[in-house]
Amino acid sequence: MNDPYGVLGISSSASDEEVKRAYRELARKYHPDNYQNNPLSELAEEKMKEINQAYDAITKMRSGNGKTAGGSSSSYGNYSGSYGGNGGNASGAYAQVRNAINRGDLNQAEMLLRQMPERTAEWHFLTGSIAYRKGWLDEAQQHYQLACGMDPGNMEYRQALAYMQSGGQAYRPMGYGGVGNMSAADCCASMMCINCLCGGQGC
Amino acid sequence: MFGYVLPLAGELKVKEFEKFKSAYCGLCHAMGRKCGLKARFLLNYDFTFLAMLLDGGSKASADQMCRCVASPFRRRRVCAMTSGFEMAADASVILSFWKLRDTVQDEGFFRGFAARLLSLLLRPAYRKAAKRRREFDLTVRQCLSQLRQLELEQCPSLDRVADTFARLLQAAGMEAQTEQRSPVEQILYHIGRWIYLADAYDDLEEDFKRKRYNPLITRFALTVPTLPEKDREQLETTMRHSLNLATSAYGLLQVGRWSEVLDNILYLGLPTSGMRVLAGEKIKWNQSKQKIGEIIYE
Repeated sequence: MNDPYGVLGISSSASDEEVKRAYRELARKYHPDNYQNNPLSELAEEKMKEINQAYDAITKMRSGNGKTAGGSSSSYGNYSGSYGGNGGNASGAYAQVRNAINRGDLNQAEMLLRQMPERTAEWHFLTGSIAYRKGWLDEAQQHYQLACGMDPGNMEYRQALAYMQSGGQAYRPMGYGGVGNMSAADCCASMMCINCLCGGQGC
Repeated sequence: MFGYVLPLAGELKVKEFEKFKSAYCGLCHAMGRKCGLKARFLLNYDFTFLAMLLDGGSKASADQMCRCVASPFRRRRVCAMTSGFEMAADASVILSFWKLRDTVQDEGFFRGFAARLLSLLLRPAYRKAAKRRREFDLTVRQCLSQLRQLELEQCPSLDRVADTFARLLQAAGMEAQTEQRSPVEQILYHIGRWIYLADAYDDLEEDFKRKRYNPLITRFALTVPTLPEKDREQLETTMRHSLNLATSAYGLLQVGRWSEVLDNILYLGLPTSGMRVLAGEKIKWNQSKQKIGEIIYE
């Protein structure tokens, strides 16, 4: 394995506090929320694994005798990046489309959708997801809007639409937050919204 | 490209600004050496960004101090030329050449005259560059002809037209180092979409007046040459989202010696340019060039 200090970008003489801070900053950077339904999500997961391992290795070394420092290790470890499987209401054909999207096989997913006779809410939602993945953000939003209009109670669709309306998110280091972004208050409010929506779904 | 991709100069440290200047000079030298003197007039900040991005974390030899046409007396710091800089030099020549040919086709004889002349001057440089980058040259031609087709059809989808330019820019990433390739391509795709939309907004009034195609006119069914507030917000959000996706991809990249400058461009420079364009400021081409240019050539 690489030098764990190098992975976290610090020197081996860093204090425990500095180690923790460097780890937290990188965990914020590679957080799966920044790579939702993104072709790079696997790469981000790999990076996350790397820093988790590095952090665990350092805490292990520092606590001596191979004891792990309980609680602090790999707090971001067990996130599954797979997308949209928890709807539960997907019938066979739509499940196939979701699988294709998860595999990153957008052509296949698009072809399956094109063959479907009915344009249901889920059809629009999945078409929007494919558009999003390609970076076609305007069309993605329009399809999510249609999906929400047809099935206003569906949390998955509403969450996707809310995300588009917020303009997405990305990691910015401390001190780079300001330009053209939401104010801190707006940011908190929208996070609360997202939390509510997630809570509604029970995840 | 258009001059939107700039660092926010006021937020750069002096040493970072020196670095940016050395990249700018480095690209200019790369263009001169690879494509001839005339190509050097195409130098701009967008391609300096591309050069730094494609250069990646490559280990380069130390900077050199050189004289050049623009600075015949005082030596300037020039970064070492790597394959990323060579690619950016070729890409800028190929893109500019086809863009000029495009203008020649679009405009009448008189309006297109300058473009025709420039493209003739640039042809030898283009030939050299295209010989080295056949695949990129082909993609540029394909994407521009698809763009032309969509314009003829009065395509109402923002994404579909922006996609042609985004893919064209993405193609410049094909020569990045293998393990960096997919994030670099993602960055270029999303920034390409962002540039296209910014440019469409910038040109809106002019296109409306001259009855030319503009995706914003067809997408928002405009009957006046201004975008209503609600639609402008929509455009702002979708552009910000593209930048966010580019920024997320950038997070996965090793950029070595350029990290501070690229951080500035991604986190500050691009959002600022976007805000200024949407506020109606005309920052395209010369205006932006002058501002930083003053600092560079003072």
